[in-house]
Amino acid sequence: MGIISVEHTGQLYWLGRYSERVYTTLKLFADRFDSMLDLDSDEYEEFCVRQEIPNIYTSKEDFASRYCFDEADPNSIYSNLIRAYDNAIVLREKIGSMALSYIQLAVYAMNKAKESPAPLLELQHVRDNIVAFWGIVDDSVDDEHVRSLIKFGKRVERIDLYARMRMNQHELKREVARLNFRIERTGLSYSRKKLAHINYLVEDAPLSYKELVEEIESLQEC
Amino acid sequence: MDGIVVKRLRFHYHMSLTFDTPIQEHHFTLKCLPKSDDRQKVESLEYDVYPNYFVSRTSDSFGNDCIYGYCKEQHRRFLIDVKGIVKAGLAPAVSVDDDCQAHIYQYQTRHTKPGAALREYHAALLPSSGTGNRPRAEYLMHRLHRDLAYEQGATTVATTAEEAMALRKGVCQDYAHILLSLCRLEQIPCRYVVGMMLGEGMSHAWVEVFDHNGWTALDPTNDLIVDDGYIKISCGRDYRDCMLNQGVFTGSCGRTAQQQEISVSVEELT
Amino acid sequence: MELKELSKYSDAVNELLARYGVKFGIYKNHTFKEQLFPFDMIPRVIEQEEFASLERGLKQRVMALNLFIRDIYHEKKIIRDGVVPEEFVYAGSGYLPQCESVLPPQGIYSHISGIDLVQSKDGTWYILEDNLRIPSGASYPMIARDLCRKCSPQTFQKYRIDDNRNYARLLRQTMDHVNTGGHTVILTPGRYNAAYFEHSYLAEQTGAHLVTGSELIVENDYLYFIDYSGKKERVGAVYRRISDEYLDPMNFNEESVIGIPHIYDIYRKGNVALINAPGNGVADDKGIYYFVPKMIQYYLGEEAILKNAPTYLPYYEDDMKYVLEHFDDLVLKDVAEAGGYGVVFGSKMTKEEKEHFLTLLKAEPRRFIAQEVIDFLDIDIVEGNSLVPRKADLRAFVLMAEEPMVWKSGLTRFSRNPDSFIVNSSQGGGFKDTWVLSR
Repeated sequence: MGIISVEHTGQLYWLGRYSERVYTTLKLFADRFDSMLDLDSDEYEEFCVRQEIPNIYTSKEDFASRYCFDEADPNSIYSNLIRAYDNAIVLREKIGSMALSYIQLAVYAMNKAKESPAPLLELQHVRDNIVAFWGIVDDSVDDEHVRSLIKFGKRVERIDLYARMRMNQHELKREVARLNFRIERTGLSYSRKKLAHINYLVEDAPLSYKELVEEIESLQEC
Repeated sequence: MDGIVVKRLRFHYHMSLTFDTPIQEHHFTLKCLPKSDDRQKVESLEYDVYPNYFVSRTSDSFGNDCIYGYCKEQHRRFLIDVKGIVKAGLAPAVSVDDDCQAHIYQYQTRHTKPGAALREYHAALLPSSGTGNRPRAEYLMHRLHRDLAYEQGATTVATTAEEAMALRKGVCQDYAHILLSLCRLEQIPCRYVVGMMLGEGMSHAWVEVFDHNGWTALDPTNDLIVDDGYIKISCGRDYRDCMLNQGVFTGSCGRTAQQQEISVSVEELT
Repeated sequence: MELKELSKYSDAVNELLARYGVKFGIYKNHTFKEQLFPFDMIPRVIEQEEFASLERGLKQRVMALNLFIRDIYHEKKIIRDGVVPEEFVYAGSGYLPQCESVLPPQGIYSHISGIDLVQSKDGTWYILEDNLRIPSGASYPMIARDLCRKCSPQTFQKYRIDDNRNYARLLRQTMDHVNTGGHTVILTPGRYNAAYFEHSYLAEQTGAHLVTGSELIVENDYLYFIDYSGKKERVGAVYRRISDEYLDPMNFNEESVIGIPHIYDIYRKGNVALINAPGNGVADDKGIYYFVPKMIQYYLGEEAILKNAPTYLPYYEDDMKYVLEHFDDLVLKDVAEAGGYGVVFGSKMTKEEKEHFLTLLKAEPRRFIAQEVIDFLDIDIVEGNSLVPRKADLRAFVLMAEEPMVWKSGLTRFSRNPDSFIVNSSQGGGFKDTWVLSR
């Protein structure tokens, strides 16, 4: 078993979170991009509210380009991808050059998408690379703590996003079940009381999404 | 040969640091332990460090004894207390078995590097009469003592020889740095010394000059040849090699202000 | 050998290099940028016998340099015997008095030496400079080879080339040889360092832990890595990629925030190995370079196998006279500068520049060395669809464990600018793989 420092623990966790954030927000974005094509919809406004990000966009076109690609917007998918990259690049010897290369490729694909008239095609490559990254992590990272820390971050982020997007109970229950399994394998200390509460919250109907977001955010102060 | 007068001196060195906010992860190195050589014999020595989570001993490349250590926990006070008895004035010089080693002290450092003021001052001095390093250094010391005014507060620990020369004033550290710079301009190996002196409430700094007899100590601040009233603690190329206390730590937030108190007493035992 | 055909794989290999993040960092207008390190497919090829001779020369040189550093910080025999004047040692910025009388584990100072060579048109190899502090660059040909083998397997079937991917094994052996007990780590200043790719790649390839200063701590006279559960793990060898100055704020630059307080104190006690040893700068100073052939003679009683470029020290009167008489034929180097800076050609100076320089030279003769301009053997690089000749050097790596080991490859750097002799990556150069033929 390797040794992992506090710094690396945080970086692995956040690499998991940001890779998931990019993946899922891209999926949500693609759905909205499609429906906004022929409807004069202001769906993005609601999206901002749910994500708790400031609505700084002037139109659906502005949203489509800036939310996705604006380097200066800290909430853009681009910025989140760069955060994933910033965490990944300092983890080469923990996750391996192969896994790291998929995050690098996602960044290249993102830059290409930015220049493209049909960004969804290139954005698909961003998502493909993130999926490949997760696959490599599963397949070839031998150290269970390393692997689990990334996956734990990913689970936390997914529950957080799904709760914000008011996903259905079934989806959330599945994700929380996966979280229960994963958190034990990280070797991290966490609040068992909070975890139990999260499990209780997803059983409850109607779901208290807001509370769920608060609880999951404070489960691990990493 | 000078007449040898020996004194037994009891000394007490005390230093305390007080921080206005708690600090932690504190690493420190202390060079405040006198050691025996030809000129002085340390008869007894005891010390206390607080906090002392981890304290160890080592010696540096200049031959100085050091205490170093680490304290992880939060604290607001740091104390070091050193007591002992030293027989001083046993010999006029510290002999060396290796001349070559002394030559590392012949070159200017960041603190002694001459600039315009020092070069100009040096150029106006009488040329060397070729009588050897020690008489020449004594001459430089006499001149310096005449031309520099002792004044506290005009300089800081960071002041270089050049800066103090331009001001024409300073304290013992500045006198020592300037004398080093002048000697080195004449290829005389010489080193900075930190120590304690009879009747002085603070630590003191002086200079050692190398020649065929070994290292002879001169006190430019008092224009004296160091005698049985002095206890040497450490030596090096300049002030930076002999810092009595050095530390790095993590403060709580923002800048942590610290207050240092040093008290030194040296008294003669009869 | 027909190597031109390789150029058709250029794009593929460069794409893979980008994929694996083979970059170096650079500061432009105070912002950090990552740049790809341009790779040229046409390798430098060195025949087996020719390399064998380089190998003997490099081992000899590195042995002598190690003996020199040890001597300087201990007995100083070479100074006493008047072979090297003391001011070249003590007044140089590379000499660290803190290293006096400190003997590193196994007595090794330069574990990893990067020796820069050039080949002249008549085929002779000349040493350009020795890098004994933190020579970087081995990772680039190592990963490039790996990717080239993927892109053009048939090339590597056809030619018998020594595999250079063993660098990680040599490095591991070098680190293990001096390890005083415990983990081996690579200490990086962080990802905003120019060579961060190399730090992380070497860590991955050698199985060492990549750490920053804040992850290590000195306690009870030993060095520890603290893991996230709070458990302390002893560290016995640190391949540090931060310079001496920043290594330990308690013993070197007190302003350093990337170093490890007291690491030098426990190193002094023999409780951890530092790779390379602090204080090596005393031997790779441009002024000391002049004396290396004399060192080889002095310590080993042998003639230097590899030649220095003909060098003059204005410090010596005769040499100063020569330099003034042949100023326009010489290249002048400021001994305090590195990375291709502080290098000027006599013939390229304007009248004023020359006057200014001569005043400086006469005032501080020890600060400069002068060298004959070597007629470089240019090597071809691919530019568009054609091959063009460019200046190039070779950084050979010598690793010291029980015995010196020469890596059968090296970093070939070239200047992309046809008029430039400066091959440093920080000044826009590219790199090539170096093949050593195994038959």
